[in-house]
Formats: sequence, C-alpha cells, structure tokens
Amino acid sequence: MYSRRLLLRSASAGFGYLAFAGISTAASAREGTTAQDATISDSSDNPLAPKEPHFSARAKRVIFLCMQGGPSHVDTFDYKPQLTKDHGKRGKYGGSLLRSPWEFQQRGESGLWISDLFPEVSKHADDLCLIRSMQCDQPVHPGAMTQMHTGTAQFIRPSLGAWTLYGLGTENESLPGFVSLSPPAGTARNYGSSFLPAIFGGTKVGRGGPTARFTRGGGDESVPDIKNPHLTKEQQRRQIDFIQALNRGKLKAQSNQPGVEGVIESYELAFRMQDAMPDLMDISNESEQTLALYGADAGVTENFGKQCLLARRFIEQGVRFVEVTHGNWDQHANLSADHQARADACDKPIAGLIQDLKQRDLLKDTLVIWGGEFGRTPAAQGGDGRNHNNRGYTTWMAGGGVKGGFSYGATDEHGYEAVEDKCHIHDWHATILHLLGLDHERLTYRYAGRDFRLTDVHGNVITDIVA
Amino acid sequence: MKHNIKPSIVTLLLVVLAPTVGAQEVTTDGMAFFESKIRPVLVSECYGCHSSQAGNIRGGLRLDTKEMTLQGGSSGPAVVPGDPDSSLLLSAIQHEDFVMPPKRRLPDDVVEDFRKWIGIGAPDPRETAIAEIKSSIREDDIRKAREEFWAYQLPVHRNPPTVKDQAWPDTVIDHFILARLEASNLAPAADALPHQLIRRISFDLLGLPPSPDQIESFSLAWKQSPREAIDRTIEQMLELPQFGERWGRYWLDVARYAESTGREVNMTFPHAWRYRDYVIESFNQDKPYDQFVQEQIAGDLLPAETDEQWAQKLVATTFLAIGPKNVNEQSRLQFEADLIDEQIDATTRVFLGTSVACARCHDHKFDPIPQTDYYALASIFSNATTYFGNPPSEYGSFPSAQVRRTSSLLRLPINDPNPFDRQLDPEEQTRIRNELEQKMRELADGRRQAAASGNGAQAAIRNRIRLTNEMAQLSARLAVVDEQGEPLSYCMGVQERSTPPRNARLLVRGEIDEPAQEVERGFPQVLCRSDESMDPAVSGRLELARWIGSDRNPLTARVMVNRIWQQLLGQGLVASTDNFGVSGQPPSHPELLDHLSLQFVNSNWSVKSVIREIMQSRVYRMSTEFDETSHQVDPDNALLWRANPRRLDAEAVRDAMLTISGEIDLQRPRASEVAKAGYQRVVGGSLGDPRELARRAMESAGEAMRESMRERIQSGRDGSRSDLPGRAGAQGSTVQRPAARGLNDANVLTRREGGIAPRFGGPLRPPFGPGMLRGDASGTSMDQAIREAIRKASSQLDMEDAKFRSVYLPIVRDNEPRVLDVFDLADSSVVTGTRESSNTANQALFMLNNPFVIQQSGAFAERIAKTEAKVGDQIELAFLLAFSRPPTSRERSEAASFMNRFDSQGRGSNPSVEGLVVFCQGLFASAEFRYLD
Repeated sequence: MYSRRLLLRSASAGFGYLAFAGISTAASAREGTTAQDATISDSSDNPLAPKEPHFSARAKRVIFLCMQGGPSHVDTFDYKPQLTKDHGKRGKYGGSLLRSPWEFQQRGESGLWISDLFPEVSKHADDLCLIRSMQCDQPVHPGAMTQMHTGTAQFIRPSLGAWTLYGLGTENESLPGFVSLSPPAGTARNYGSSFLPAIFGGTKVGRGGPTARFTRGGGDESVPDIKNPHLTKEQQRRQIDFIQALNRGKLKAQSNQPGVEGVIESYELAFRMQDAMPDLMDISNESEQTLALYGADAGVTENFGKQCLLARRFIEQGVRFVEVTHGNWDQHANLSADHQARADACDKPIAGLIQDLKQRDLLKDTLVIWGGEFGRTPAAQGGDGRNHNNRGYTTWMAGGGVKGGFSYGATDEHGYEAVEDKCHIHDWHATILHLLGLDHERLTYRYAGRDFRLTDVHGNVITDIVA
Repeated sequence: MKHNIKPSIVTLLLVVLAPTVGAQEVTTDGMAFFESKIRPVLVSECYGCHSSQAGNIRGGLRLDTKEMTLQGGSSGPAVVPGDPDSSLLLSAIQHEDFVMPPKRRLPDDVVEDFRKWIGIGAPDPRETAIAEIKSSIREDDIRKAREEFWAYQLPVHRNPPTVKDQAWPDTVIDHFILARLEASNLAPAADALPHQLIRRISFDLLGLPPSPDQIESFSLAWKQSPREAIDRTIEQMLELPQFGERWGRYWLDVARYAESTGREVNMTFPHAWRYRDYVIESFNQDKPYDQFVQEQIAGDLLPAETDEQWAQKLVATTFLAIGPKNVNEQSRLQFEADLIDEQIDATTRVFLGTSVACARCHDHKFDPIPQTDYYALASIFSNATTYFGNPPSEYGSFPSAQVRRTSSLLRLPINDPNPFDRQLDPEEQTRIRNELEQKMRELADGRRQAAASGNGAQAAIRNRIRLTNEMAQLSARLAVVDEQGEPLSYCMGVQERSTPPRNARLLVRGEIDEPAQEVERGFPQVLCRSDESMDPAVSGRLELARWIGSDRNPLTARVMVNRIWQQLLGQGLVASTDNFGVSGQPPSHPELLDHLSLQFVNSNWSVKSVIREIMQSRVYRMSTEFDETSHQVDPDNALLWRANPRRLDAEAVRDAMLTISGEIDLQRPRASEVAKAGYQRVVGGSLGDPRELARRAMESAGEAMRESMRERIQSGRDGSRSDLPGRAGAQGSTVQRPAARGLNDANVLTRREGGIAPRFGGPLRPPFGPGMLRGDASGTSMDQAIREAIRKASSQLDMEDAKFRSVYLPIVRDNEPRVLDVFDLADSSVVTGTRESSNTANQALFMLNNPFVIQQSGAFAERIAKTEAKVGDQIELAFLLAFSRPPTSRERSEAASFMNRFDSQGRGSNPSVEGLVVFCQGLFASAEFRYLD
C-alpha cells in the first residue's frame, strides 16, 4: 500500500494533497492508468493542517480531566487549618462550618498540602501546579459546566477544545483532532464548535449515559458506524475507490469545488479512522504493568483507568485535545462516603496517567488539566454534605510548561471565596491558550460581523504559573 | 363569535400575580419594631441561605432587601404586607408549607412578632433606592439611525435598471442582477442543463429527486420552451403537499422547533408536533405571511370564526413556548426572566432579523437599541403565561427534584386525540386515584416523621423523591383524560393573564435581584414610525403581532424574502439572514431586496408568489459553471455570476435515499414518536427506560433468531429454500429476479414493518451478510442479533426503520436522529436561518457503514434488479435515479467493471446482487448525490 505516514512526516502538505496522492497512486496501480488529470488541492486549504502557534510554547496538546459535579476543594487540594479549628462554628455566610473528614499532609519536595483523598496523585505533587483561587459566575451545574467549556453560559459558543484545534490544527490525519471520551449525555454544546466550522468540533467517542454499560469492551461500537457489518476491508477499499472515481470525475468536470474536495478528503479520513480507531480503542496490547499503572485492569478504577489510558493513546497518536469526564462529585449529602468513592475511582488512574506521560517523555509538552465546574462550601449542608461554591475553588495543571510543585492564589481562611490572585474562568482560559502558544486576544473568529474569542472581552494570562 | 366568550376552553393559570402593594404608612414605630424584633431574626436565622451573601440562594428566595422579600422566591412572594395568612414566610416559620428554619422551630413569641409585623404592613427600611438606568443611546442616535441606516427605512419602489444585454433577462430580477454584473464587467453563466434544472427545481420545492419520467418530460418540454417547461413544473409542484414539508422545515429551523426542553433535565414536549403540522399546512395553503406571523405571536388574541380556526391559532402560539428551558432552575424569577428573554430573542430575530435580546443586560453594543427597548418588550411578554409542560390532574401537579419549573398546557377547543392516546376505563381511573391517594398519605406520614425526628435522613429523602415521581406519573395519566376517561387534546402556547396589564422592571445588568425603573410596554423605537402608540389598557402583544406582521415596520417583508432567496440561490441578498443590524452584512443588491419585499406585500404576502418569481428568473436557471476571471473579481459570488453549488441538507439526503430506493412513505404519520412516549424525561437518548427498551429488543431479537432457526431446519429438511419471499439471500441461494417492470411498480414494493426486514438489506438479515462473504451458511449469529437489538434500543430516536419523510422524525434536543445530525441539521436550541454545510469523516462513515444506508442501498438494488435485467441498463437506471442523468460512457464502463470485479472477489453464492448493492451504495455516497448543481 501507499505509505501515508511517510508522506506525512516528510511533507508539510495537508490532507487534500495526501488524499489525492493516496487515491491516485492506489487507483492508478490498480487501473494501470495515471491520475495526472486530478486537480491537487492546495494544502493550505486544509483547516486541520498543523499550524504554527502565535509564539513558541511548551504545551503541544491537552488532556482535560473534567470532574463533573464540583469536587470539594477544602477536602482535596485547598488546605484550611482554620476550618478544622472553627469546626461547628457559624460560617461567615451562615451554616455551621464543617472540617474536612480527610487529613492533609505536605507532599513531595515542594511540600504542597494535599488531602488523603488523593494519595496516588499526591506522589506527583512536584509536578502539580495548583490554582487555589478559581472563580466562575455560575452557581449551578449546567451553567458552570458550560462556562468552564465555552466561557459563557448564556450563549452557545465554541468549546475550549474547538478553539485549540482552530488555533493549532492537528497532527494525525487519521484521527479527529478533538476527542471527548464518553461525555455525559446532553452536553454536546460543551464540546461543540458552535459557529466555528464543524471540523473543529469535538468528536464524541464512547457513550455516556445508562446504555454505556452495554457497549463496554466493544471497542468497535464506540464510534458510530466505524465498521461495515458486511464488507471486508479490501471490498470496502474497492468500493471507496469507485466512489472516489465518481468524485474525481465530478471534480474534473469543473475546477474549484471545495465541497467535492471535502467529500473526497472525508472518505480518506473515514477509511483510515476505521483502521485507526478500533486499534486505538483496543487496549489489549497494553502490558499488564501499564494496565495496572492506570488501575485499568480491575476494580473501581477500571472504567476511568481505561479512559485515562485511552487519552494517552490518543495524544500519543497526535490528537490535539482530549477530554475525559469523571462525574458525580455533587455531594450535598454523604460527603464522607461518596467523595471517597469518587476519588478512589480516579486517583490511581490520574496518577498513572501522569506517571505514564512522564516515562514516555510526553508530560513536558502535554498539558494535563484537572478541575470541576466549581467547588463546595466550607459550611455543612445537612451534617455531611457541602453546597455548590463558585466563588472559590481549586483546579490544577501538570506538564506542558507549568511550574510543578507550585500553588497559585488563595481563598479566605475557611475556603469560601478567592481572596488572593483570583483566577476567573476567563483568566484560566487565557492561560491555557497561552501555554499552547496562543494569544487569547488574537485567536479570533469572525462571525456575524464581529470577531469572537474564547475569553470575550475578559481574561488575563497568569504568567506566574508558567515555568 | 368572539373567542373569549367560548365556554369550552379550560385555561389553567398557575401563576397568580402578587397583589399590588398599596402605599404603606410606615410609622417610626413600625420601623422600630422591625429593627428590634424582625431584623435580628432574619439576620441570624435566614440570611445564611436567603441573602446575597449565601453561596447558593435557596429556593431563589432572598430576605435581605424589602424588594426581594416582597418578590419572593420559587414558591411566590414571601411577605404580603397586611395579610399574614397569605405570607409564605409566616407559614414557613410555623412549619406549615415549609419547615423553616430547617432544624428548629422559632419560639412562639417570635412567630407572633412576625405575624404582627406583616399585619401592620410589614414596614421595612431596607429599601434600596430604585435605580433609574439612563440609556447611553440618545433619541437623537435613534432618529439618525432611522434616517440613515438602510434596514430601518421602509422599502421603496425602484425601476429595474437598464442593461446592455437585452436578450438575457426574462424577469425584473434578472435586470437587477445583470446590471450589477455588467457594471463589474462580468457576464452571467449559461443556463444549466435541463436535467440539472429539474433536479434543482424538484429538490428546491419538494426536497425530493425527480423521477425518470419527470426528467424525460421536462427535457422534452425544455426543447420547446424553457420558460414554459419551468413554469409548468413549478405550478405542479407548488400544489403538492410535499411542498409544505420542504418549506415548513426551513421555518422550523428558524423557529428553533424541537420536542423537548433540552438542557440537563430534558423533558419532552409531547404536543409540539401540532405546531410542526400547523407550519407545514400554512405553507401548503400559502397562508398570507403577515397572518402567519401574527398568529405565532398572538394567535390566542386574534378573532376566530370557528373552533377549528381557533385551535389552529392557539397551536400557532406554540412558537413562543418551544424554546429551550432549564426546568431545573431553582429560582422562579430567573426562570421567568429567561423564558421571556428567549421569547424576545426568537421573536425579534426570526421575524425582524434584529437581535433585541443583546440589550437584556446593557444597551445594544452595535445597534441603536437601548436597554429600555428590551424591557418594553419584556413588559409585553410578561403579561402572558406560557404553557409547555403537562396539565395538572385534580390533585394538582407535582414538581419534582429535577423538574422544579413546570406549567400546564392549553386545552384545544376541538376534539383531536391521537389514535394511540390511552383511554382510562372507570376501574382504572379509580385504581389510579386510590394509588395516588395512598402515596399522598405515605408522603404526609414521611414528612411528619421527618419533622418529628428533627432532620430528614437520607432514606427519607430518597423515599420522598420516589413518591413524588410516582405521584407525578399517576397524576399525569389522570390529567390527560376527561371524566369518562376519554383522551383530551392539548397544545403548547401562551395565554394572556387575566389581570390588568403590568409593566416589567428594567434589570440592572440583567440581574433579577437588581430591578430598576418600570418600563412601559412598547416596540423597538428604531423600527417604529413615530405614530406607533400603545393603548395603556392592553398588554400590547396583539398590537406587537399586528405591527410585526405588517409593512408598518421596515424589516418583516425584507427578512422573509431574503430567507426565500437564500433557500433558492444558496446565499441571502443579506448574507446574515437573522441579523439585519449594523453588525450584520449589508445587502448585495439593496434595490432588488426592496423590489422583492414590495412585491411580497402586494401579493398579499404570498410566499408561493415570491418563490415563483425567483424561480422564473434566468438567475435561478444559471449553471454552476466556474469561471476563473469572474472568480478573481468576485470570489464569493456575491454578484451571482453563476449558481452556487449547494449541498443537500440532511432531510433531503435521507428523503432522496428513500425515494430512490422506492421505499418512501409519503403519508404524513400521525403526531410524533415523542407524542407516543408522552410527557417524560429523556435519558440516555431514549424515551423511556433504556434498560427496559434493551430488554424488549433482545426478546424480539431472540424471537427472530428462533424463527430463523426453525426455517433453516425446515429448509434443510425438504431440501428447498423457504418460500418466504425475499428470504433467499440469507439462505445462500440466488435471488429470483422478477421480470422487468415499469418504474412505478417499485412504489408498491411490500412495506417493511418492524425491526426485521425480510428482504434486501434488513439489518438482521443482510442479503450479503458476513456469512455469505465468508462462505459461512449459518448467517448471523445470536450474539450479533443481540448486539444489534441493543444498538437499536439505545438509538431509539434515530428511527432507522421509519420510511416517512424526515420532517416527521422526532426532534429531541441533544438527541436528534443521527441521519439528520450527521448532515448538519440545525441546532434546535437556537434560531438558525442558515445551516452549516460540512463534509466530515463522520458523514463518510455514515454513508459507508450505517445500517439505514445499507438497507436503503439494498432496496435501491432490488428496485434496479426488478426493473432491468441487463447490467448496462441497470447502471443506466441507477444513475438516472441517483443523479438525474445517465452515466457517461466512462462511468458506465467503470461501474460495470467495478461490479464485475467486486463480484468475482465475493465468495458468496449470490455475487451479482452484492455487486449491485455495493454499487448503489456508492452512488448514495458520492459527492454528486449530495450536491445540487
């Protein structure tokens, strides 16, 4: 067969060229004709071709570990000794203060305080960059989730991943450039492209929701229509060659048909995806040690461990932005049991991911982001629960050019609200783009007569966390 | 007869306005009483959860300002001055409707203090001065914009410009277009070929491909007279019911039509389909557009002569009720503000191409629309109640933990139940009532116990949620039948509140807890002639409808003719179809836009007339032929030097496959899949419990497998193939090819029912299943059948087996059918005047591997094989059906050799069918199939 990979490595040409080169050689080899007559589309037309960032930067790609439901910062990464001391007293905004059921310890050389909810992640404390002064505008889940992803809850806007893809393109023409692994149902707008061209939107891989359990393990089921139920690969290639011959005929009839070129490219990507995706989704060739590292082999960590492992496999293959969701952090009640269960399910997988990226020398240019849509109140709700808190919470980053073992910003003594070096979600977005070499004020898209950007008219880059 | 005296309507007004507070004589004593007895309690007991300082304001209730206390939270006003017994605050601290504070009961003397305080008129010094927000947009700015900006001036009549090439133009439109082209030294493209034109006309008017007969007769007529050929075709097609299905769908895009609320808690709208059918019928009847507009904004207030008319007009107001909603919103005020905002946004963008909603939080950044203009409209809409939920039964309605905000529905004045609506016989009604009452008792017991034990334990809370949900389900079943148990007919929509009209308060930065001055009801000033005035005794919605649905504003006609132009020519004269403001694009041909608008109004707002006028032009007839010189001058083809190549939209792609395969069912299905499922939450892409659906699907798959085993055993026994028609493929013997028949016969192919297609391409019994290709006669395995069943259960809303037109597929927000979604269906949560037109790998995967496409390819192949015996003729017919043209000689030989080589590779015993099916699928998958030239 034709070696696209070689071509891709040696040439800066995009898919349009490759699609044609590939088809032409394949077709001419079979038909004994030359395909000189086909118009070769300009590679610069390919919107997904890798693009130079605005300035050089360490992070080349992103893994976003999205903690849906709002994990409590005062029980995980924001140590509040005063909260323990004032346990049972009246909080500043009413309710009685609730000390964390978990102990905090200083971790690593840096001595970052992290609770016992994340013992495995804590081992990588010196890689973590905690942002302990997060704020967003939305106190309810859907709104805050949407703002975390798109910058606004009021309008439908492109997702952070779509902006990233728009800014940087992608490096593997056999795979979508922005992948959302098993997103919760009904959250399409959180990985959507909105007004950006659809090609920048996230591709959903795997299903969320109650039917997920039926399809677990069936890798080929995770992308809709990824496999033909009847044809062998050779038969399908022959069919695609026939389709492309029709398409080339149409293209030849008249020049300048970007739509037809788009169709041609889409079949080549789809054909390659059929190969690439099931292989990529099939983790059976990973070693036992690797599976164990992620906790992907068994137990409560199995599901999320597999997701994290898949995330690594995707970025390893050149996917620009991968999002993995771990849900149900919304403990208004049963905090001590349920937060423990949530953490148990993801602590090892996340630690494994960081470890694995490190040992593959990928952490240096892969930005790992961890965070929920908001945090939780220091005051108790019903004795063993906490309420939503969007005025102060913690997210963290690792790798990709952030300072390790570093803590930025602070909440007040109890953890109610950010008081020092506040990081609004707009600042967070500006900083993530900055780490990828993109200027959030220059990454704009003209839509309906106006230049839009992820951060709207807000956002300050937090340069303090850049290594 | 005036509609408002009809006795048959039952409108259920759930929200009762807060009584207006009279001027209070606040004495110094009263204030002192508040300071000494009331404020300290509020601060220590309530502010923790009910003040601006609370992280999460419970129940949307704030008690830290007078304003917010009177306004109340989700459940209504907390304090009604002078009326302690109507004050929720008092009831709550007495542990009646609510249990507040949650952990302990306030001492009796404190409760008495509150009673006294409310009794003396609830004197409260915590008044925040009402801010008067001044607009930065001055009247002068508005006047200037009205005089200078093109879109704010009424259209004026223009004489068509003279052109050099006198021979080319056929119509006035052609003069306008040609004049601009000539001015740029460009020439229009030649006419498209007849087969291209008939395909274009057919898809444009009906969303369906032309039949080979139509292509032939059109081509013949074209030779006589192109103009007449086109005229006749247009006239015929405009009268077909498929016209409304095509053009109605465009309208449903802008009307953000969907059958569920969307958002996190996605509740169905089981009656939204009535609006869908109303829209389709309106286009088929060529209802005057001004009337169509008025009905959607205020159909409930328009006169109606018959009950049927009245019902239609009520259904029309569904337009205001189908927007996306966050029914999980805690705050009633926030929910209402968002609801009104959505109505303003849809109304102004859909009809006026103007984004007034930008002014919710501040003056419009680009257009001369001050914030007060937004609240003038909010004042109008705040007098309407919106119905989008489910009616309450005699027991009331049961808001749940997920569905905090709900509403009733409108009873239709006519009896029009669905055939699948359930009757309830008296015993069943009694049983439901008993069950419901039992659960109500359980709930009350649980409450008492929880109150006695101080705080509700987890189990008690869970129990309460379960009971409420069960009660809601039972109540919903009772609610939709009359006393005899006969199903009632409902629609979504709006009704005017029966109180004197009120005005809304301007909200600073759009924040519900920062109300400023009241704003009088009114229209966006910049769009008004100076003589628009509002009767203070009316809400103004009817007046708004009559003003928008008229030529008294400069935009309604322009916006609609521009939408029509875009559908037919591929881009609007104003490219930003929903934005005619300063930030939108200016018109490429302003005079033409005015001409069309005036023609539209003069034709009594006939949409069909505008379509006819555009399609009769030579502009419409141009080919898509590319020209490098013209491209250099006008790369965007804004001047229209050629026709724009257009990708078929999602519905047309699916409907074309069904038409070409001969399987399409042109009958309109009754209601919708969502209506069948009823009022419920959509979870995991399914209506109903996905696990239950999967279980049922597996059962039916098991049944099918057993049947197939029996057959196989049987056929093995008598050594012949089963006599069931069409099952031969799966048996591994040759398909009998029927004698060639007329094309029309394909339309009477047996319809497939249910999930298992007995003929070509059925998902469980493919004609060339894996068994065949691998020489394995056992066909599909049980395992595969089960997987298929599960896949189907979890993709219930995709409706892969449906054969009716795409416009009737269920549109559940965030769960749109894959076949439509993958081809850029409009996002049903936003007003979409222009769809995306992408070509993605997901589409390619869909065309290559999706069961629906494979099944359709099988049916297509079957149709071809039935009609033509020779391969050459089969190829000819297939191209004609799929592309509306015969193949070129090269294509013919390529196709033949493809099938030939494909077949020689197949090891199955039925090779020629495989080749034909895969070839047919190839045509569906090709770029030419999905592009209109």
